[in-house]
Amino acid sequence: MLSFEEIDHTADRAFRVAGCDMAALLENAARAMQALDRDGPRPTAEPSTTRAIEVEGVDGESLLVNWLNEILYLEQVYHLVCESFHIDEIKNHHLRARLETRECDGSYTHIKAVTFHNLKIRETSDGLEAEVVVDV
Amino acid sequence: MYSVPVETAMLSKEHVERVAEHVWEIPKTFRDDMRVPARLYADEDLLDEALLDNSVVQLVNTATLPGVMRYAIAMPDIHQGYGFPIGGVVATRLPEGVISPGGVGYDINCGVRLLVSLASVKEVKPYLEDIASRLYANCPSGVGSHGQLRLTNTELDRVLHEGSRWMLDQGYASRDDLDRTEEFGRIPGADAVFVSDRARERGRNQLGTLGAGNHFIEVDRVAEVYDQPTAARLGIHSSNVAVQIHCGSRGLGHQICEDYVSRFQKTARDYCIELPDRELVCAPFDSEDGQEYFRAMACAANFAFANRQLLAHLIRQSFQEVLAGKIKDFELSQVYDIAHNMAKIEEHEINGRSVRVCVHRKGATRAFGPGSSVLPDDLRDLGQPVLIPGSMGTASYVLIGTTEAMRQTFGSTCHGAGRVMSRAKAKKMMRGTELREQLRSRGILICAGSMSGLAEEAPAAYKDVSRVVEVVHSLGIGRKIAKLEPVAVIKG
Repeated sequence: MLSFEEIDHTADRAFRVAGCDMAALLENAARAMQALDRDGPRPTAEPSTTRAIEVEGVDGESLLVNWLNEILYLEQVYHLVCESFHIDEIKNHHLRARLETRECDGSYTHIKAVTFHNLKIRETSDGLEAEVVVDV
Repeated sequence: MYSVPVETAMLSKEHVERVAEHVWEIPKTFRDDMRVPARLYADEDLLDEALLDNSVVQLVNTATLPGVMRYAIAMPDIHQGYGFPIGGVVATRLPEGVISPGGVGYDINCGVRLLVSLASVKEVKPYLEDIASRLYANCPSGVGSHGQLRLTNTELDRVLHEGSRWMLDQGYASRDDLDRTEEFGRIPGADAVFVSDRARERGRNQLGTLGAGNHFIEVDRVAEVYDQPTAARLGIHSSNVAVQIHCGSRGLGHQICEDYVSRFQKTARDYCIELPDRELVCAPFDSEDGQEYFRAMACAANFAFANRQLLAHLIRQSFQEVLAGKIKDFELSQVYDIAHNMAKIEEHEINGRSVRVCVHRKGATRAFGPGSSVLPDDLRDLGQPVLIPGSMGTASYVLIGTTEAMRQTFGSTCHGAGRVMSRAKAKKMMRGTELREQLRSRGILICAGSMSGLAEEAPAAYKDVSRVVEVVHSLGIGRKIAKLEPVAVIKG
């Protein structure tokens, strides 16, 4: 089973993502968002740095949206592209994660924000699945 | 790839009733949670197109918002968005009706500004490549791009509170520019206390930048004039140069929407508001949550007016750099600047009584008719200019607001062509470089930061803007004044 695939959306962009548990779903969603943004930021040759972040939501869906928006924020404000994601802990819709980040070149993300549109994390026989629409 | 989403399968043409020529209605009885009917203004082909994706389901969803008045409305350029459809208009009764950040969208006060010159395209044509290059160099594009202004916290606060007025003080605007801007370039009620540090960080260096997606600067030729006296009063003359700017509040607006959509995920439950889509989260307008969002949204709206104003200044500077000493009368005066993603407090007549409402326009344009007290003195007898940009490489239109729009659509009309094809499909159809060459062979210069982004905006991905405009013109919710055709496009 693919961990993510793009799905059709008339005006914006959308993807379906899956993971064996919540941490895998979130990590795969971050990769999916980067894959949609192929012309987006590219890492420079600068050494990478590890950033520890914490994100919280009121439920699984809002944790997913806030997590992805956090990654966009790092790209847009600090010009950092995340090369790998490792979620250390998820407890009560609060996560702690480490991100390997590197400075971006002069290109910029095309994604403005991650939306809650029809967002629902569903249980499947393989774990969890969700469809995410991003505003471009 | 999904085949047909379940929600689409549940709504088909048999659920849609024809109310009048180009007016369709989904009755309140269609779904238990609808508070009012949903109305779609379209010809039959545009209706059929709208039924192909989730646009009309999204329209029906907006008819469930607490306090919604008369009907939830969609314009003929309706297409699928998130939460609201693009092309949606929803008015909620004040003070108890709701305000929805998703009903405005992430690009708060995304809008269009039109500048015109007394110089003809024929005179300017030899210098067009240089003009396009200067515009591309002077007006940075891309979602995270930075402009030349570096604002202190105090200066940013002034921009958020004063919008274009701050630009006037800095010498980047004229009084005429402000007179020819919706709300005179400043939405009242803005309070920067309710704007997060993150929003400030994202916007601080972005004034005078274009952004990405469907944003653009376009040099046009006035191709056709339908109402000579009105066009002349707006400074629009056949064959002359015009310039359109399409952009919004950049990262600052995106973050404000994100902050409040996220916060309302929790607070909507406190108000016991049940919604069919979480992107529609909202709060009663007079609640603390509703007021704080409105005041933050007004800050983003003012930022967007200031942004388009600074871009107008940079465009004038670019024209000066290239054309000074070469041709005469190339100066650019402002026809108007309109918002098409906004929630506004307005008075409308409903059942013979004047009612105060919060009008959400998401991909829809205010189109106030003659006599409106909010128009500048010199436009009051005409009505408000309305700017309808087409897709890249196709025509755009200047309309004027009408009394009929006040009667039917809370003083609103369409905002553009409206997409019919996903970005992914558009990119598969043609490469950006091929499209650029195809447009060049038709005499349209293209400067774009991203070839992939350019391919996503291919004209084939959009409805025919002329058909959209014909529908609103025939309904009388916007009257055609002039048609513009592109000669150079600067894409984000």
